[in-house]
Amino acid sequence: MRWLIRSQSLVTLASGMIYPYYLLFLKNLGNSYAKYGLAFAVFTISSAAFSQWLAPRIDHSGHRVLLVSSLGMMLAMLAFPWVESYAWVLLLQLVMGCCSAMQKMSERLLLADHTVQGERGPVIGSYHFWTSAASGFAVILGGYLIDWLTIDALFYASAVMYGISAWAVWKMRKP
Amino acid sequence: MLLLLVILCVYEYIRTDTPDQNPYLITDYSRLHPVKVDRVVKGKEEEQLVRLLQEAKEKHLTVSIAGQRHSQGGHTYYKDGIVIDMTDYNQVLSVDPDQRQIRVQAGATWEKVQKAVNPYHLSVKTMQSQNIFTVGGSISVNAHGRDIRSGSLIGSVDSFRLLTADGQIRSVSREENPELFRLALGGYGLFGMILDVTLNLTEDEAYRMENEAIKVEDYSRYFQENVLGDPDVRMHIARISVAPDRFLTDMYAINYTADSALPLEDYDKLRTREQGVIPSKMMFSLNRSSDWGKNAFWSLQKLYFTKQQNKAISRNNAMRSESEFMEYGQPGANDLLQEYFIPVDQFADFVHGMKDIVRDHKLNLLNITVRYVEEDREAVLSYAQEDMFALVCLFHVPLSEQGQVQVREGIRDLIDEVEYKGGTYYLPYAAYPTVEQFRRAYPGYDDFFRKKDEYDPQHLFMNYFYEQYKGE
Ligand SMILES: Cc1cc2nc3c(=O)[nH]c(=O)nc-3n(C[C@H](O)[C@H](O)[C@H](O)COP(=O)(O)OP(=O)(O)OC[C@H]3O[C@@H](n4cnc5c(N)ncnc54)[C@H](O)[C@@H]3O)c2cc1C
Repeated sequence: MRWLIRSQSLVTLASGMIYPYYLLFLKNLGNSYAKYGLAFAVFTISSAAFSQWLAPRIDHSGHRVLLVSSLGMMLAMLAFPWVESYAWVLLLQLVMGCCSAMQKMSERLLLADHTVQGERGPVIGSYHFWTSAASGFAVILGGYLIDWLTIDALFYASAVMYGISAWAVWKMRKP
Repeated sequence: MLLLLVILCVYEYIRTDTPDQNPYLITDYSRLHPVKVDRVVKGKEEEQLVRLLQEAKEKHLTVSIAGQRHSQGGHTYYKDGIVIDMTDYNQVLSVDPDQRQIRVQAGATWEKVQKAVNPYHLSVKTMQSQNIFTVGGSISVNAHGRDIRSGSLIGSVDSFRLLTADGQIRSVSREENPELFRLALGGYGLFGMILDVTLNLTEDEAYRMENEAIKVEDYSRYFQENVLGDPDVRMHIARISVAPDRFLTDMYAINYTADSALPLEDYDKLRTREQGVIPSKMMFSLNRSSDWGKNAFWSLQKLYFTKQQNKAISRNNAMRSESEFMEYGQPGANDLLQEYFIPVDQFADFVHGMKDIVRDHKLNLLNITVRYVEEDREAVLSYAQEDMFALVCLFHVPLSEQGQVQVREGIRDLIDEVEYKGGTYYLPYAAYPTVEQFRRAYPGYDDFFRKKDEYDPQHLFMNYFYEQYKGE
């Protein structure tokens, strides 16, 4: 459980750090809100579609799915600074949508697997606390990093964190 | 943990609670003089712009015109007035490869112009080193850059259409309304709104980049003999060291030499990505923060440019230089430009005099680049009253009132030195100089402001440039 919290705190750290700035970055790509909306829709729709594929398969491979999701996000973060067309952004949104489905679903699954009915409150509470706190810390840090360097640097930093979280998940499999 | 986060938030609030960071006030690249304006309107169509002027007149509001707002002295806004943001008014109207001309709306950036003309193997004659500025903003300051053969920007303007304070749209060129031509180019948005511009272009060429290390004392002679004297050299820029170990003594020059052996097609794909922003930005932060950093930055910079020796580059690519690594957004401080035009033969003397002033006033000087501008007195406010070197100086300055007072004193002393050497200074930057210094540097000021009253008696077009330099 500790490793789950650790790895998922890192994931929230990584995503919390990039997310608000990523929104700004997306908004700057298209001049219209419609275009921005589309980029977002691609994310949620791919996430929805992927969850259907994933649902019957996830029960026995929660860890692996979590690992793949972190690695996928890492690759997406590494790719963003190099993207030069809107179509690529949509493609990455699609990949990230799938990763998000994997992450959200396996996170819930593992939380449920590692807890017993009647005693979930404190665990979920502590889980939520640490992931949210990590997020708060991360956005502030993210702002500093962009001011000091560039938004690309933030993408890379976030990629590193996804990498570490993947490692933490991997570690979690071997007790 | 929670407490720590709350404390962090409070600290952040205090740290960023400076006027230069107030999102409800407007300012420019300098983040000096933040004020509240009535509103910012995006210029979209000609009729809309005419109507806006009409409305402003009826409501007795002032109008300021903004491009990319990279000017640094409140040139693009005025308290309680309307700001017209021209950046969406940016269509390329036509490219005429035979006449070598392009007609664009004034809010188009150079980047857009380059994209439009590159396929025809054409290129802008004169522009800044970077391509991020609007055409309207650039001709309103009469910009100049690395090209040493084409004079300042006014020289490549064929004509433009100007929406004046009386609501009329006038064609302006050297033949039609020639007086307005000389006033509005380098007119800082005070004579009307430039709607679209016809620019003369030149051929895109492949250049070989050559670097040379020189001493400040030898630079004038070197430039006249090896650069200006060699007709194949088309563009040039030099840097003076600000590193304490070599403070204002060492320089290196980059020359762009036309080489007909180089096939243009191999180099003319436009570069769209800036290279190595993250490491350069880190290095530039070091340069900003310590003497040690300045020494290290200079050595690295030299190394980098030596590596570029003999590299080939197209003219259009040479005119889209890196800029992102210099951006600075921290609250309470900023990197501001100042620029001095010094007669070619006075260069070394001036730099020598500058040394003491910068040291005495403890100015944090980050960078000096040197360009060349040919004598050009066409604009009423022209800076190149003879052949000049333009020394573009980047200072790291505090934005607090007290900090600004100190910077202002230092800059005024520098301007005295400039004047003493027969030079002038550039007007798009913060108006640290006094009104008297301005008047001595720009003898055309009297004419300029008199004509302003004639063409715009109600002072519909207003900005802080006018307020700071009009004097009484
Ligand atoms: C990092 C940096 C590097 C620079 N390098 C160079 C350089 O190499 N060479 C050089 O010459 N200058 C240089 N400059 C100065 C630059 O050329 C001017 O600040 C220029 O005005 C910027 O263009 P802009 O689109 O941001 O104009 P803005 O700052 O938006 O406007 C400048 C002036 O033009 C007026 N204006 C804008 N659009 C119109 C219009 N359509 N009609 C009428 N008036 C208008 C505005 O009212 C204002 O007075 C540099 C500035 C910065 C910040």
